[in-house]
Amino acid sequence: MSMAKFLVRRLLQGIVVIWGVVTIMFGLRAVAPGDPANLMLAEGATQELVEQVRREEGLDEPVYVQYLDYVRELVTGDFGYSWQSNREVEAMVIERIPATIELTIAATIVALVIAIPLGVISATRRNEPADYGATMFSLLGISTPNFWLGLMLILVFGVWFGIPYPTFGLSWVSLASISVPFPSVGFYDFPTGRRPVGFGEAVRTLVRYGSVYDLLVWLKHIALPALTLGTYFTALITRLTRSGMVDELGKPYVTASQAKGLPSVLVRYKHVLRNTMIPVITVLGLQMGTLMGGAVITETVFNWPGLGLRLIDALGTRDWPLMQGIVVFIAIAFVTINIAVDAVYNYLDPRVSEQ
Amino acid sequence: MTEEILRVSDLSTRYFTQEGQVNAVSSLDLEIERGEVFGIVGESGSGKSVTARSVMDLIEPPGEITDGEIRYRNPDLVEAIADDHPNAIDGEFVKLLELPDDVRRSLRGTSFSMIFQDPESSFNPTLTVGEQLAEAVEVQRRASATPRSTRARTESAEYSLGSLLLSNVFPSRRYVSEESRDRAIELLELVGIPDPVERADEYPHEYSGGMLQRAMIAQALAGEPDVLIADEPTTALDVTIQAQILDLLDDLQRETGMTILLITHNLGVIARMCDRVGVMYAGEIVERGTLEDVFDEQIHPYTAGLLGSVPDLEGGATRRDADRRTADRLQPIPGNVPSLLDHEMDDRCQFADRCPKAMTACLEHPPEYPAGGSDAHRARCVLAEREYDEDAALSDGYFDESKRPVGDEHAEPAEPGTEPPEERPQQPAENTGGERQ
Amino acid sequence: MISDRIRSNLWQTFRKSLLPKLGLVLLASIVFMAVFAPVLATHNPTRTGYYDEQGAEYPPLGYEYTTSVADDGDIADVTVEPTTEHVLGTNNVGQDVYSRFLYGARVSLLVGLLGTALAVVIGVPIGLVAGYYGGRVDDGLMRIADTMLAFPALVLALALIGVFGESPIYVPDPIVAVGLVDGMPDRIPIPGTVTIVAGLVTWVWFARVARGEALSIRSEEYVKAARSFGTSDRAILLKHVLPNSLTPIIVLATIQVAVIILLEASLAYLGFSGTTLSWGYEIERGQDVLRTRPWVAMVPGIGIVLAVISVNLLGDWLRDALDPNIEGEGR
Repeated sequence: MSMAKFLVRRLLQGIVVIWGVVTIMFGLRAVAPGDPANLMLAEGATQELVEQVRREEGLDEPVYVQYLDYVRELVTGDFGYSWQSNREVEAMVIERIPATIELTIAATIVALVIAIPLGVISATRRNEPADYGATMFSLLGISTPNFWLGLMLILVFGVWFGIPYPTFGLSWVSLASISVPFPSVGFYDFPTGRRPVGFGEAVRTLVRYGSVYDLLVWLKHIALPALTLGTYFTALITRLTRSGMVDELGKPYVTASQAKGLPSVLVRYKHVLRNTMIPVITVLGLQMGTLMGGAVITETVFNWPGLGLRLIDALGTRDWPLMQGIVVFIAIAFVTINIAVDAVYNYLDPRVSEQ
Repeated sequence: MTEEILRVSDLSTRYFTQEGQVNAVSSLDLEIERGEVFGIVGESGSGKSVTARSVMDLIEPPGEITDGEIRYRNPDLVEAIADDHPNAIDGEFVKLLELPDDVRRSLRGTSFSMIFQDPESSFNPTLTVGEQLAEAVEVQRRASATPRSTRARTESAEYSLGSLLLSNVFPSRRYVSEESRDRAIELLELVGIPDPVERADEYPHEYSGGMLQRAMIAQALAGEPDVLIADEPTTALDVTIQAQILDLLDDLQRETGMTILLITHNLGVIARMCDRVGVMYAGEIVERGTLEDVFDEQIHPYTAGLLGSVPDLEGGATRRDADRRTADRLQPIPGNVPSLLDHEMDDRCQFADRCPKAMTACLEHPPEYPAGGSDAHRARCVLAEREYDEDAALSDGYFDESKRPVGDEHAEPAEPGTEPPEERPQQPAENTGGERQ
Repeated sequence: MISDRIRSNLWQTFRKSLLPKLGLVLLASIVFMAVFAPVLATHNPTRTGYYDEQGAEYPPLGYEYTTSVADDGDIADVTVEPTTEHVLGTNNVGQDVYSRFLYGARVSLLVGLLGTALAVVIGVPIGLVAGYYGGRVDDGLMRIADTMLAFPALVLALALIGVFGESPIYVPDPIVAVGLVDGMPDRIPIPGTVTIVAGLVTWVWFARVARGEALSIRSEEYVKAARSFGTSDRAILLKHVLPNSLTPIIVLATIQVAVIILLEASLAYLGFSGTTLSWGYEIERGQDVLRTRPWVAMVPGIGIVLAVISVNLLGDWLRDALDPNIEGEGR
């Protein structure tokens, strides 16, 4: 099968998956208790107003009509309005995407930068202290709930080390001065009082004014959340890299490469590590859901203004249109990443395209 | 005029496994002359492959060369390393085991190279065959750029992680050069692969087994080695392909005059290819000599047993009748391949428990005796000295009574994959050499 | 089904390495803690209490904890530092941290086991059928599986809690029932909806593994032979395919117990669990007093880590010994 054909096939499968997610969302909303019209309106709204909203929203139509309307709206890119804030869902989702993407990418980078060398060291120095260390670390990493890890990092850095400004999250303004640990004071950097900027804007400051200030502030804020979210994946990739590489090192082609005199760096990295990463990449694709779930929790712990935090808000207020928007976005992201992973897999392993 | 190119003396290679010490190779002596084809034959688990890997420096933990010396004649190399490693020099010979790892590594591909049993798993499945051949060419190209200096030799073979990372950014820093790629295509042509230009860009799974074995031979030739070690080069192949591969090796050997150490369990292959033969059993060479010595005037009952289990020798390699091959298997040597676990080995003739002519004298470890035939003929068997004596014979059940049957305790290596599977000493005798058909 | 070879592999791997032993000891201690929680506990884990400056206990006030109460100047601080009375201190509402730590083990383990059982019951038949029949059936079932992977567990949990309520399952306490101890709750609630969510979220991994096994087993000669005798598909699935897929399913199930313990903790932390007797919920409480009373969040977290590590160690042991082919680590 050619690459293009393969991708088209995966894309179609992806669309089916997204349709499935949309349908489940609709089903959940249909069976969930509570009259949407009541949720939309302030408490104490008159009966007439409720009736009017029901008519306008098509809530008095049969379920299948509602479903078709709903799918039609989604296909045309109409995600509706938030019941709580009455803002366009699309805008509410889009404005939160950069923060989440920054967090997940930073976590992924943390994971890859630590995990691959650790896995390689572990596999090539088997049963040496370094290997035991890496094994214990990865065992702890996959067994620690990330929300707890986040809290413990805050405890250590914020409370015990008493770092006076947040090296973590966005609104932990100062643990020393504020008694309520999760103040809803908005996302400010302490002590500058400036609103911290995203990565893009930080880079723009750097290019335009030659100032690394914004970038440092950005780094300062993302460090602990990225570590929190990245730890599980660091541990997982370390384990996968180690076991994959141990398998791979035992294969005859490794001996054959050594026999032809190839420098050991090339044997180890060009041949063995490359082949090790092929299955690792597949697993990471499948684990994207875990990464996203982890992002939701990490954002909650650190009050990180991303999609996850917004999802928690939407869940708390039963804001179905907003929930739908976020869930559809997560599904699209999941499907896209998995197609990308498959494409990389296809590129790295010539045997796959034969099948 | 003949001269020794390789002299292995008193070589012992052991594996330190959970079950105990495995004496894969014990005090082995071996001399190979320049330009000859030397065959080592034996059942699986007899230490053939470990011997080859010891010469190549491919023994990995839990294995270790514990004793002995491997001398390699190469005046150029002697000159090159004279300053840095004077203790590794013995006349025109270099003592390989005295050399540091990096120098030994630099000899792989250029001085010694190896063909493996299973071509399909001996190529990296995710790189093109051309790329993998070109790597082998590049090793030789970089080494021969300054052949006189080992320092340059080892340094050129060094390739740091930094260079590898850089090569992803700058194509000019890649390890494999364009010239090497072109040479790889020539090599593919040399071993008779049609459309080598296109084939070079294909992946191993797109090749047939025979094609891939040709490619592996090409890869082994890339470094223009002094000694080519062929470890069961035809075992994994169809019978018809086997003959073609042997023809190819034969032709190449005649053209280049290179030395070949051929390892096989198949006496037919030995008969077809070799000048001299060593028969291995339990980590030792039990009989050695010219082809005629071993085939016509063999002393050791084990050699006779091997020949007995494959009676139709002349047609061995080219025989196409699969049924007859099976029929040949009907006369196996009774008993099992011996356990090579140190604590289960007695200091006796290791074959005595399976030997139809075992005598009390066999309870002592026999030295090598000269035997009839050519000057090179030696046998590690008391029968070389005296006739079989019924009266001194051991009773049939002698070894069963004195201890539990040897060889039925599995000696799994501690970590699978580090020990060549062929060397697991627990397989029954009929199941030789990792045959796959 | 459990052949001598498997048994000897298990034993060999166990003997050789320290980690499985560590895992077994850890898990045994946690199970012991969970089973004998009423005996080991020093206080009723659900009883709230308040304390004056000297640490003397007020009569339980009997009202619900709210943020405003804890931050209210009138009732200064209901948590106490570790004392001989409360070895690990108390939490925001004056409950004994140590006793809740013990009972939390019960909830975690029960949800882990029940959730995994549910996932096996859903996932294995689906996977076997998909792999055995192949074609459209396979495509359809695998798309459903993909959809589940792409669907956030939190949303599912919330919606189901909305529909079914928190549906706590009350598990009676055998030790209290036989009258060994007094003053402990005679039954503890485990979160029913969360257990269902855990099953619904994780069955996919079982389906994938079962499918892979069924795919390879259906082309085996003995299955073909059985089919040629006219054996029904149902019988083949039950008699041949299922028993042969058991090894990877057992290994995966072990790993999934750990995954579900973590999932339950996360949901409880976010407040979607419905029961308050849960390590995750305790951490959420401890977050509010992290600065002054860090042990409230620390202790249950350590419980989660130890429980998950012990299960993971056993999972690793089984995986090393049985060597199944599980794609995706099943996490």
